[in-house]
Amino acid sequence: MEFNIHSIVFLIFSVITLGGGLGTVTSRNLIHGAVYLIVSLFGVAGLFILLSAPFLAAIQVLVYIGAIAILIIFAVMLTRSMTRMTEIYNRQWSLSLVVSALLFVLLLVGIILPVWGPGTANAALQPSELVATTVDLGVAFVDGNQFVLPFEVASLLLTAAMIGAIVIARDRD
Amino acid sequence: MQECIDIFNTFAGCLTASGADPGLAQFLSILLGVVLVAMGPLVIVIFLIWVERKYAARVQDRLGPNRVGPFGLLQTFADALKLITKEDITPAGADKLIYNLAPIISVVSVILIWAVVPISPLHIGADLSIGALYFVAVGSIGTLAIMMAGWSSNNKYALLGAFRVVAQLVSYEVPLVFSLLVPVMFAGTMSMQGIVEAQLGMWFIVFSPLAALIFFISTQAETGRAPFDLIEAESELVAGYNIEYSGMKFGLFFAGEFLHVFTNALIFAILFTGGWLGPFVYQVPALGIIYLFAKGSIFYLLSLHLRNTLPRIRIDQLMSFNWKFLVPVSIANLILVAFLWKVIQLIGLLPGPENASDFLAHLPAAIIMLVGNLALTVVVLQMLRNVGRRAVAANAVSTPANAELDDQPYSLPVPH
Amino acid sequence: MQLPSLSELNLGLTVPALSLALWACILLVIDLFIPRDRKSVTAWLAAGGVVFAFIANLLVYRDPGVAFMGLFVADEFAGFLNIVVLLTAFIAILMSVDYLKRTGIERGEYYVLLLMTTSGIMFMNSANDLAVVFIALELLSIPLYVLAAFRAPEERSEEAGLKYFILGAFASAFFVFGAALIYGATGSSSLPVIVDAVGRALAGEGSSLLLLLMGSGLILAGLGFKVAVVPFHMWTPDVYEGAPTPVTAFMSVGAKVGGFAALLRILLVALPALTVAEGDAVAGWQTATWVVAALTLILGNIVAISQTNIKRLLAYSSIAHAGYVLMAVAAAGTPGVSDQATRAALIYLMAYMFTNLGAFAVAMAIEKDDGSGTSLDDFKGLGRSRPLLAAIMAVFMLSLTGIPLTAGFVGKWVVFQATIEAGLYTLAVIGVLTSVISAFYYVRVIVNMFLEDGEGDPAAAATPYVQWAIYLTFAGTLVLGIIPSLVTNLSGPVALAVASLVP
Repeated sequence: MEFNIHSIVFLIFSVITLGGGLGTVTSRNLIHGAVYLIVSLFGVAGLFILLSAPFLAAIQVLVYIGAIAILIIFAVMLTRSMTRMTEIYNRQWSLSLVVSALLFVLLLVGIILPVWGPGTANAALQPSELVATTVDLGVAFVDGNQFVLPFEVASLLLTAAMIGAIVIARDRD
Repeated sequence: MQECIDIFNTFAGCLTASGADPGLAQFLSILLGVVLVAMGPLVIVIFLIWVERKYAARVQDRLGPNRVGPFGLLQTFADALKLITKEDITPAGADKLIYNLAPIISVVSVILIWAVVPISPLHIGADLSIGALYFVAVGSIGTLAIMMAGWSSNNKYALLGAFRVVAQLVSYEVPLVFSLLVPVMFAGTMSMQGIVEAQLGMWFIVFSPLAALIFFISTQAETGRAPFDLIEAESELVAGYNIEYSGMKFGLFFAGEFLHVFTNALIFAILFTGGWLGPFVYQVPALGIIYLFAKGSIFYLLSLHLRNTLPRIRIDQLMSFNWKFLVPVSIANLILVAFLWKVIQLIGLLPGPENASDFLAHLPAAIIMLVGNLALTVVVLQMLRNVGRRAVAANAVSTPANAELDDQPYSLPVPH
Repeated sequence: MQLPSLSELNLGLTVPALSLALWACILLVIDLFIPRDRKSVTAWLAAGGVVFAFIANLLVYRDPGVAFMGLFVADEFAGFLNIVVLLTAFIAILMSVDYLKRTGIERGEYYVLLLMTTSGIMFMNSANDLAVVFIALELLSIPLYVLAAFRAPEERSEEAGLKYFILGAFASAFFVFGAALIYGATGSSSLPVIVDAVGRALAGEGSSLLLLLMGSGLILAGLGFKVAVVPFHMWTPDVYEGAPTPVTAFMSVGAKVGGFAALLRILLVALPALTVAEGDAVAGWQTATWVVAALTLILGNIVAISQTNIKRLLAYSSIAHAGYVLMAVAAAGTPGVSDQATRAALIYLMAYMFTNLGAFAVAMAIEKDDGSGTSLDDFKGLGRSRPLLAAIMAVFMLSLTGIPLTAGFVGKWVVFQATIEAGLYTLAVIGVLTSVISAFYYVRVIVNMFLEDGEGDPAAAATPYVQWAIYLTFAGTLVLGIIPSLVTNLSGPVALAVASLVP
């Protein structure tokens, strides 16, 4: 494998992502878990930048770190006793370990091995030469040839979700 | 653009000539650029603190810092020394890792914004194609820092302060983004440099003063300054999220806040008043820095003035002002502006790229946009007045005194 | 770049689904101006929207086509299922009007959310692209999560909403992961393109067969949750019990229709050629659906026996009925039987819709305002106080069992026929045996109504609207049962629907 700045940066972000993920599931303190999750999400944002997808990276930070992670921390803080929890209540560690290992092996065999190393890569699986820009992404959302329908239906979906959230959250009268 | 790149290329070239790996040399030169961009704001903040204190003092009929150095200019250095030498206290029961991480993240989240601040036609940390989005994304990390500080301090006032932060900052992000979309739409790009260059003929504040106003109010709330400083309302929360912090960690929070205000003023200048644009800026690019900082300083001083002259508003007023006023108005403004902009394009009033710098060519479009914006403003104010009158009338009927003012659905601060 | 013109998008074909969604948004605003004590006006407006969509759907049905450059297909398959869903929505609204009032949860948003989920199901019926299927799946699910929790802060309803939401989110994640893997293997999310890519993958061009299998497995799991088949059924009894009864009724049919529509379309349009071993004639997913169908039938029917609450009983019964539909899906994996099996699935869904909605409507008439009165014991004495209602309920129960002259019989008949044609004899035997088992708990309801004595009138809450809903579903059940040729006729609507899907 060619060793350059790009691969070093990839390595750093991979370690951040995986380390954060590991911290999230092993951490006994919920807030620590949430902070590790943020670290992991940040690593993913970095990977997006390496893939020349700055828009996705910014959205990753804005939505996942700026909104979802903060929501998680907020929810945990409201249940203060949970933040003091030191015992791991979930007793299915071994089971989840088996499932994760199984999934990993499947992904390894299914996705990684077929394209691993030089020469074995299949022509059909080569990444496209075309680097999609943010403009391409924006056009794809409004182009009748591409994804205008799911994009518009997604707006309906968000409306429905918003109505639902308000219906559940508002005071009973 | 070429010369700017050359500085780094020279550095990289020197390193390569002295035997370093080209990749490593490139990496080191980029690192140098990052350090330069990050150091700039840290130097600026030293003087910002002085300006802030001086201005507050003048408003309050005091002199302000005047002992250390000429006009008290060196006061901040003295303060910094004092803070550094103070005992570093970590409260018992605090979560050490998060407690120590919070002030760092607080400052870093602001410094990160500077990466996309174009200070001249040639100088920008990184002209990202998503610069405006980056500004919002990075800004949201600041919220996280305050929450971490509030939670890890193991103090109920700090926690309450953190709760208010989430409510306030997350809410005010909505009108912020909606008003940010307006200049992005005008420029047709999210790149900060592109937004500045698109204002060559006409500043965007002329096209949509309402968006500019909403943006300004939202940034004021995002930084948590009066009249939106409920995060650290002394009378209720003692000091808010940073109550347990002392020494330089406390100093970092404050440096972060001062810097955030100034950075937001710069972003405002970039988005709405043409950033580094000014006479002869293309001939002498360095002039751009002066133009930008001059414009930014005006908005910074405006922000300071608001902070020092307005009373703090109540939390329910704060929230209803945002959700019942700012958000609907910013959405209406966005729709109106998009509609008018499309109409102007269709009837061919928008000047093409050949006369992008022609002020007169932009005038018809600007007048249409301005009139549209002002009309919306008038409509909104009228509606607000009606709602306010109704609230007052209902209040007068239901209670003789103002005891139940809090229960009114519209308790906005409305002019009668 | 050349953007397609509006006329090229064929927007007219999307009118049934889009009009319903837009009407939901408009209704949300109109509802603001409707006084609190007259929310039944909102219900009527919502029902009007459903009727409009129904008529529009019939018009589109006559002149099918493709909209949005292939993302949305308005074919007879979608048109037929749209009819089922719109009928479901209409009956659910009829059931809701009084129920919401007497249980004190009458709010306009209820109908808005109901319309939104209905439009989601309609999008799902027409979706021809994995991206659209996913978005439609979410549009189907999210309003249902909220509707399940609509009686909050009542605890059982909150529990229902929360359980449904958390497990539903997992299911959606499974679906997306599966769709991503299929995209990775084939390079497209469009179903007609995927089928070509699958063909190439099988021919050895591209080593992505494992990816395809994993992807389709995950999609099966994700949609399996929505239609409540074993082992993705755990949420069903709790959610059905806790949700407001009209919502349960809607959910038990609507979500199943959407799920099976997407499942059938993905399996038959995109993955018919997917095989496990080389030279295999039958599709690779047949074994999986076979096993799941068998498990569902056995577990659903056997656990239903021990239920004492009518809503839980109907929940397990709905699991079992998902198994029967899945039998037809499994049979569709055999080439040559595809069209017959698809037809069976569609007929079964239609029959199940009338019968099940009717059963829930009667259960609702028994239910008290505080949510109690759903035990099987509460049916005691119904035969004496309300002979007509009890007789109708008996017909629904017989139809769910699959006794001749009812819709349920027709459904089961065609499904078993297709399964045998496909050569899945074991599955057919399991189906027949479990039908016999199911008779036990369905007949017990009839026994309770006619042979046991109770106090007072159990069905005091049977209001006119609910009775209309009951009569409507009763008529549907009987007409389908007595004149099955209405839908089974080869030249009839179902045949058209099948022909549009199976090449």
